[in-house]
Amino acid sequence: MPGIYTLRRARFILHTILCLLLLSCSQPERQPQEALVLTDDLGRELTLQKKPERVFAFASSMTEMLYAVLDTSTIIARTPTDDYPEAVYRKPLVSNYPVDYEQVLVLKPDLIFTVEGITPLEVAERLQQLGVPVYYQKYRTVEDIFTGIEDIGRIMGREQQSRQLTDSLRQEVASIKARHQKDEPQRVLAITWSDPIYVYGQNTIFTDKLRILGAENAVQEVFEQPYPALTREYVLKLNPDVLLGGTKEELEERFFSLYPELRRIKAYQHNRLYKPDDNLMSRPSPRVVESLRELEGFLYP
Amino acid sequence: MMRRGLYFILALLLILVVMLLGLQVGSFDTDAATIFSALFHYNPDDTTHFAILHLRLPRLLLALVVGASLAFCGYLMQAMVNNGLADPYLLGTASGASLGAVVVFFGFVPMTVAGLYLPPVFALAGAFLVTLVVVILGYRKRQIIPAQLLLAGIALSSLVTAMVGLFTFLSDSEGKLRSVVFWSMGSFERASWEMVPYPAAALSIALLLFAFYQKQLNILLLGEERAQALGIQVAQTRWVILGTVSVVTGFAVATSGPIGFVGLIIPHVTRGLLGATGRGNLLLCAFIGGLFMLLCDLLSRIIYPPAGLPIGIITSFFGVPFFVYLLFKKNYNFKE
Repeated sequence: MPGIYTLRRARFILHTILCLLLLSCSQPERQPQEALVLTDDLGRELTLQKKPERVFAFASSMTEMLYAVLDTSTIIARTPTDDYPEAVYRKPLVSNYPVDYEQVLVLKPDLIFTVEGITPLEVAERLQQLGVPVYYQKYRTVEDIFTGIEDIGRIMGREQQSRQLTDSLRQEVASIKARHQKDEPQRVLAITWSDPIYVYGQNTIFTDKLRILGAENAVQEVFEQPYPALTREYVLKLNPDVLLGGTKEELEERFFSLYPELRRIKAYQHNRLYKPDDNLMSRPSPRVVESLRELEGFLYP
Repeated sequence: MMRRGLYFILALLLILVVMLLGLQVGSFDTDAATIFSALFHYNPDDTTHFAILHLRLPRLLLALVVGASLAFCGYLMQAMVNNGLADPYLLGTASGASLGAVVVFFGFVPMTVAGLYLPPVFALAGAFLVTLVVVILGYRKRQIIPAQLLLAGIALSSLVTAMVGLFTFLSDSEGKLRSVVFWSMGSFERASWEMVPYPAAALSIALLLFAFYQKQLNILLLGEERAQALGIQVAQTRWVILGTVSVVTGFAVATSGPIGFVGLIIPHVTRGLLGATGRGNLLLCAFIGGLFMLLCDLLSRIIYPPAGLPIGIITSFFGVPFFVYLLFKKNYNFKE
């Protein structure tokens, strides 16, 4: 009878859990290779059999982090979008979209790092079932990137290297910040696509970068999406001082020819249209300081 | 007679009311007084005035014209193939336009040439091209065979949709995908004074033309043989319908994307109100189509500011329940 069977099984599981609890309380240092339990930024619990030694990332920003912190021999793959540092091209390629499960299994990673929003949760579940845990990070501020780097250092047993890196990055951020606290904040709009108009919203790291630079995101309203779609009228009302998204020629061709009405905005009138590096803008990586310097060049020419 | 006049006046009034409401919805706070002064005492330096006159008004007019065009063409198509399930996209216009737009979005041709934004231009070309092929396939012995035309339209639409799917799948950037998705659900966000005249002119000419063809259209509903016996040049009438539908739908789709359901439902609504062969059906159908689209656009912007939900989602959401109601309404009949 299924009812009784289920009951028995439940009781069996309960017993097992109790025994395990007792074991873990009484003999904590007995096992030489203790299972490692991690909780990632999404609150997902991962159990690793040992300290990870073969890892890679599904997000290019995290590949950059791994290269900045780890012994490069522990990084075992790259994805099609990875392009930094140069050395990454020496690693075998694995498709992250769609995920090539078979290739992942061939590579035998102990752990895959990724960023919230880059890898769908069901993909992570599937990989988990195949025996490959996936560790998510998420970032809202520049500081989150640094704690993310330290996180990786702790998981991979490279605390010292990660600490050194984040200390120097934090110092650079502090000195950039100190330069711009007295400035009248410029209102900056960064577009990611022109038809429809998608922009960097309030809850992106971009907002924090601008804050560090003594400027502000022209989009003050908080939308559900990090990169909300806006209308022409909305942009007209924002009337940003600076528009990021392309050189003057590029924006003229892709943006203002489509929305000639927007030539009224201050950024266009005062010719403050700039083209930041796509990867520096979009990747929450250790190169965030480089990104800050680039933006600083645009805001304070 | 009385009833018809009443419906026309009612439709016109409602269009005006909804347009006035629509003029007030947007990112700038605007009340009735601001709308009034923008319309009658336009100050070019006032950005709010500018937004009302150059962003909101063309948008509303485009919605009106496109809604009217699709409903009008749906009515024509249903009469021509003598089937209530027909819609203006049966000729492959929507898929052809999508292919044209996608070709530009995915970078096979530049986005702009000499300041001209190309996606609508290519969409128009794609719509015409696919429609032409469908018509050629539906053509036998010097005349259009409706059943064959329908099959050709469906087959070619599937083929073209598959091509669009292939491009989409092979796309290398998320932005391009967004453009395609956004385009495929329809939007009036690109509306401008430079754009609105084209679909408006196409629709006006077509409405004028069919002021003379309404009788033929009704007799066509009796079936080919009886229509011929009654002295109607069936073949010629079909050509006029085909030509009109492809041009008017082409402009509507090229400017706003393939917006579904309007062309299917509104003709039924019209017949439900005035009967299947009422005089003035075509014109009223266009009015109701325009009104319906204005309402959908208003709703989309109120529900999901600022960008507005894609218009195709709204038309389906509100159109389908109404359609189902119509199907179950006892005294509605397609032909009588």
